[in-house]
Amino acid sequence: MSDLALSVKKPAAALNGYRFVQSISVFIIALVVISPLFMLFIASLKDDRFQILADMGSFRAFWVDHPTFNNFREVGNFAGELAFGRYLGNSLFILFSTVSLGLIVNSMAGFILAWGSLPGRALILAVVIALYVIPQESIIMPLLIIVSRAGLSDTFTAQILPFVASPLYTFLFYQFFAQLPKELYEAAAIDGASIFRTWWSIFIPLSLPALATVSILMGIETWNQYLWPILITQTDYARPISVAIATFFGQDSIYWDRAMAASVLMMIPILLFYLVFQRWFISSFVGSAVKG
Amino acid sequence: MAKVSIENVAKFYGNHQVIHGIDIDIADGEFVTLVGPSGCGKSTLLRMIAGLEEISAGDIRIGDRLVNDVPPKERDIAMVFQNYALYPHMTVAQNMGFALKLKGESRAAIDARVQEAAAILALEPYLDRLPKQLSGGQRQRVAMGRAIVRDPQVFLFDEPLSNLDAKLRVQMRAEIKDLHQRLGTTTVYVTHDQIEAMTMADRIVVMKGGVVEQIGRPLELYDHPANLFVATFIGSPAMNLVKGKAGNGGFVAEGGAVLPLPPGAKAGAVTYGIRPEHLALDEAGFRAEVVVVEPTGAETQVLARFGTTMLVVVLRERVDLNPGDSIGLRPDLSTVHLFGEDGRRL
Repeated sequence: MSDLALSVKKPAAALNGYRFVQSISVFIIALVVISPLFMLFIASLKDDRFQILADMGSFRAFWVDHPTFNNFREVGNFAGELAFGRYLGNSLFILFSTVSLGLIVNSMAGFILAWGSLPGRALILAVVIALYVIPQESIIMPLLIIVSRAGLSDTFTAQILPFVASPLYTFLFYQFFAQLPKELYEAAAIDGASIFRTWWSIFIPLSLPALATVSILMGIETWNQYLWPILITQTDYARPISVAIATFFGQDSIYWDRAMAASVLMMIPILLFYLVFQRWFISSFVGSAVKG
Repeated sequence: MAKVSIENVAKFYGNHQVIHGIDIDIADGEFVTLVGPSGCGKSTLLRMIAGLEEISAGDIRIGDRLVNDVPPKERDIAMVFQNYALYPHMTVAQNMGFALKLKGESRAAIDARVQEAAAILALEPYLDRLPKQLSGGQRQRVAMGRAIVRDPQVFLFDEPLSNLDAKLRVQMRAEIKDLHQRLGTTTVYVTHDQIEAMTMADRIVVMKGGVVEQIGRPLELYDHPANLFVATFIGSPAMNLVKGKAGNGGFVAEGGAVLPLPPGAKAGAVTYGIRPEHLALDEAGFRAEVVVVEPTGAETQVLARFGTTMLVVVLRERVDLNPGDSIGLRPDLSTVHLFGEDGRRL
């Protein structure tokens, strides 16, 4: 009896220990991820930019005595009436345009690579994968020359068009479509659907997880663009918020208070964007297409 | 409805030939089953009729129209797939009406046709459900409904019952046969299950290695198999085959035992075939030793050792036999099948 009790207790104890380690690990990871964000938010509520700098090395970085939204008000009026709103609007416009066009273009390309009767399909796929390993920064100068010669400097087009088609997202869509049952494509062909209609009416509605994944990755990438917009924009006309924030870090002085508030403001749209799309990250009802 | 003509059709994948010049004429309204083991080319042939595989050589006609280069949607066919291939994000009604919607039919016409098909298949209560909310049998019915609403000239079925459990398979088998009897649409049905083929088809095409072994009505194939492959493929339990040599006094099996030959049997037989139900207990018959007895209620299957060969005997009567018993067996001589060196029926 005692042997039995022991043999039952041992795994239970091991399980509890495992859960404890697991909980501690999750807590530490959460702390590491959340603490800078929390620090940022707290700092944005502090009025004195020198105090922010002084607090950074201590626990005071996580505490504010007299919270104020002054920084946010100042950021709103920085560089003229509603200029910050303009930057935010620019960023949002670039974000939604790039992601919308990117979803269409990359999913179409992925679909054709997965199911189309394209000559040299395997070669194209190999090239797409090879292109993925080339870092964006390495082609930025040639791209700058092309865009300038095309007369697209300081435009939204210059910030949207070069990033619409992406080898990574085309490959992600290709992989997703290729794992869907071939019979769905064939059933649509027999039903009389054109290849465009098959993509639009059958495969796109089944691709919510892929669409969400690409939207999130592409959205974050677009929102965080810094080097390219700084090179291509000369005026406020098409300048995104990421570049605008850099102006708080002047040559002579750094406006930590405003920079913190601006960073908080910049984070909100992309966090909302993520929250909207993340629910499709894991859910998929494709499995019901076939037996089961 | 339309006839389907397959003339000298071949299929190559690179240098590898999978279909070797097949000829089949399917009459208007006929139910033809393509049956054979895995890899025999039956599904490839069906997909060539559907237009999902290119034809390497030969001609396929639906009605009088040559369809070799006609895309699937213009062939006026409907296909039911093994895994149903229902569109998961569409309701049953949307799945069934999708082809009509693409044709540009009016909403009212689509609804009417979907209702009609749903009534035939008893799917009315499920029209607003998604495929994931249906059982396997119901999904299979929706797949058939999707085919019916199009009122095609030819129905193509690609192993549609393979994913169902045994009980449901028997039920759906009867439903498909009943549906064909009511609609009278020309049907080509692929299966690896010879029972399915036997019970459903007007005619069966037995294939092996990309070649047609025999075409005929089910009982014709059962009673007069053209060769050893058809003899063993059609029928369950399979035909007993005894190797040996036909002589004047009978068929001398390997090991020396002698089996009686039908009167006027042609010379040269090296394989003696007899179906399990055509062997009867008879003390005056040839001797065999009981190895296993399997009573199923309706019949009793006896596995008996005859020389070096194991024979299966199906007895309708209840018998009291035990392993090790010596029994006498008598073949019904009118049903004995003899095969020559080349495996062909004599």
